[in-house]
Amino acid sequence: MRGCHALFAGALALLLAAAATASEPVHIEFWTMSLKPKFTQYFEALVQRYQAQTPGVELEWVDVPWDVLQTKLTAAIAGGSAPALAQMNVPWAYDYARDGAIRPVDELIGAARSAYTEGALQDVTFLGHVYGFPHYNSVNVLTYNRALFAQAGIDHAPATFLEQLAIAKRIKQRTGQAGFSPALGKIAGVFLEEGLPLIEGGRAVFNSPRHVAFLSELADAYKAGGLLKDKLFSEDNFPASIDAYKAGRLAMMVAPPAALLRVRDDAPDVYAVSDVAPAPVGAAGVVAGGWLFHFAMPRGIQGRQAQEAARFALYLTNAENQLAFSRLAGTFPTAKAAIEDPYFQNMRAGTDVFSKAVATGASRMASVRTLYVAGIPGFEQLNKRLQDAVEGAVIGRRDTQEALDAAAAYWNRRLGAP
Amino acid sequence: MGGARSGLVAWCFLAPALVLLVLFAFWPVLWGGYLAFTEYKIITPPTWVGLRNFEDLLDDPVFFISLRNSLVYLLIVPAIQLAALALAVLVNNRLPGIRLFRAVFYMPVVTSVSVVGIMWGWMYSDQGLINAVLQWMRLIDEPIGWLSDDRIALFALMFVTFWRGLGWYMVMYLAALQAIPGEIEEAARLDGAGAWRRFWKITMPMILPTVLLCSVLSTLGAVKVLEEVLIMTKGGPISSTYTGLYYAYDQGIRAFHFPRALAASLVVSAICVLIAVLNFRLLRPRQP
Repeated sequence: MRGCHALFAGALALLLAAAATASEPVHIEFWTMSLKPKFTQYFEALVQRYQAQTPGVELEWVDVPWDVLQTKLTAAIAGGSAPALAQMNVPWAYDYARDGAIRPVDELIGAARSAYTEGALQDVTFLGHVYGFPHYNSVNVLTYNRALFAQAGIDHAPATFLEQLAIAKRIKQRTGQAGFSPALGKIAGVFLEEGLPLIEGGRAVFNSPRHVAFLSELADAYKAGGLLKDKLFSEDNFPASIDAYKAGRLAMMVAPPAALLRVRDDAPDVYAVSDVAPAPVGAAGVVAGGWLFHFAMPRGIQGRQAQEAARFALYLTNAENQLAFSRLAGTFPTAKAAIEDPYFQNMRAGTDVFSKAVATGASRMASVRTLYVAGIPGFEQLNKRLQDAVEGAVIGRRDTQEALDAAAAYWNRRLGAP
Repeated sequence: MGGARSGLVAWCFLAPALVLLVLFAFWPVLWGGYLAFTEYKIITPPTWVGLRNFEDLLDDPVFFISLRNSLVYLLIVPAIQLAALALAVLVNNRLPGIRLFRAVFYMPVVTSVSVVGIMWGWMYSDQGLINAVLQWMRLIDEPIGWLSDDRIALFALMFVTFWRGLGWYMVMYLAALQAIPGEIEEAARLDGAGAWRRFWKITMPMILPTVLLCSVLSTLGAVKVLEEVLIMTKGGPISSTYTGLYYAYDQGIRAFHFPRALAASLVVSAICVLIAVLNFRLLRPRQP
């Protein structure tokens, strides 16, 4: 009898403990990337709304500058103090997923996966699993200076990259200004957009006649002054591009529509003579500029915390919240219902250049993908060699074929290619 | 007994600083040195790989470019030392407004390196002040790519380092010059020694320890240069401005190859030690 009492008391204690644990608020810390202070109000309001409608969940929003996020997150994961959700881009997520630092969320996302665009879901699917909750995306449009185009006698926007190079040369010749600034600091991405492979059958193939011909076109445009030289080979040449565009020194700028807001605010005279067109599409058929941000869940987030974090992530990335964020940020949503919203659809009739840019971008969301190179061991070091070869070839310091041959030989040796 | 007791007291006073030094200087160096021989991604435990990271360095041409550039950077050492010494001699005179002159030369030292980098980035750009002045003077037709031409970018960075460091060494030399007793100069003058002779026979021997210190500091500073590269060129164009320490930074912070970054850091550290020893050997004041 005494034994029964002890058993009962033990069971009761366990039940009470379980009840106490269940009633304890779940702490969900989520990190965003460089969204303060512009979106402070948006996130604070969102957190308040969610906490009001979800008792038992305690949210903590931490915004981390993009250039330190990866370092801080890696250290936090290693130290076992990672947030429940962390916003990141696709290449980082791929690396984290490969190293087992973030966990798959297939089961947590469940039926809600159909709410996101197929491209966004594909972007966060690695090794057969979904690794994140898609948030916002980007897509490039071509913004061009109508006055410089008219001065150069050009009456249409380019549809392909090669046509863009030809127009750039003509603009330099007729107006003295540069045509555009391609993202040559990310040459691997440029090759992929143009349908030029880096590796086939385990061997580097970027020294093929097609690659050489493509680079020769670039070198020709560079020599003719068609390309903006400032920061041309920087990993991020956008600041130099937009500065030159705003100053009327650049005829074309391939960038997300939000860039036009800066042109409108800083250089209204240039904005007044600007127009937009779809960004030229390379041979791969992928629209450039896709750069998906999503929320990933670090390893070690389990049980009730994982369930609640997923519920919040689905709320954070639902159509209503994504639409509100996109309207504020000038980005593109990845929730299908948000893209179908009149905000994006009705703009097509708008005459304002920014509205036209948003509509142009929205119309191409279906074919947007985040392009990056994955699965090549030691890619950073290999890419550096390719990058240097391309830079030397484009500025005329090295023969294109020789430079690419040397880089390909280095790749093959490092890769142990057959 | 008293000696042992005072030794214990001394260690007690030293202990707080030593603990901090061990925790934040010696331990990271030892741990980093160990990690240079491992495969390590922070989120997984390190595994011993021997010399593989060093072999990777030897297989990377950019690493050799970085070391070569670090050695080329040493060219600014004699230039900055001579200029700083000459400047210190000039500002050591009692002239009206000389304090302002000293302050102006010291200004770059107290200016944030980010501001310096951005400012010189603008000055060097195609539309920048330097090209504008040269074009206005009709010395050039097309802008010079100070930071975009691989043949001159490193020298453009070296000039910024020179400009940043000049005031610092000037102040050190000025302090050394002002510490020379006036009576010695006075006696030499009375004995008929000219300015040139006084400089070489009195001033130089007396400031030689400062020359040694400044040479070692500026040599190590040149080998370890990082900020200018990071802010202004990020190693480009065509890797022409990579330096030893920037290579380590790039491998560690950008590419996340921490062990390779640490291996490169060890090599740069070894070079620094070697150069410091050489400096001490060559410039050590000789005992009469």
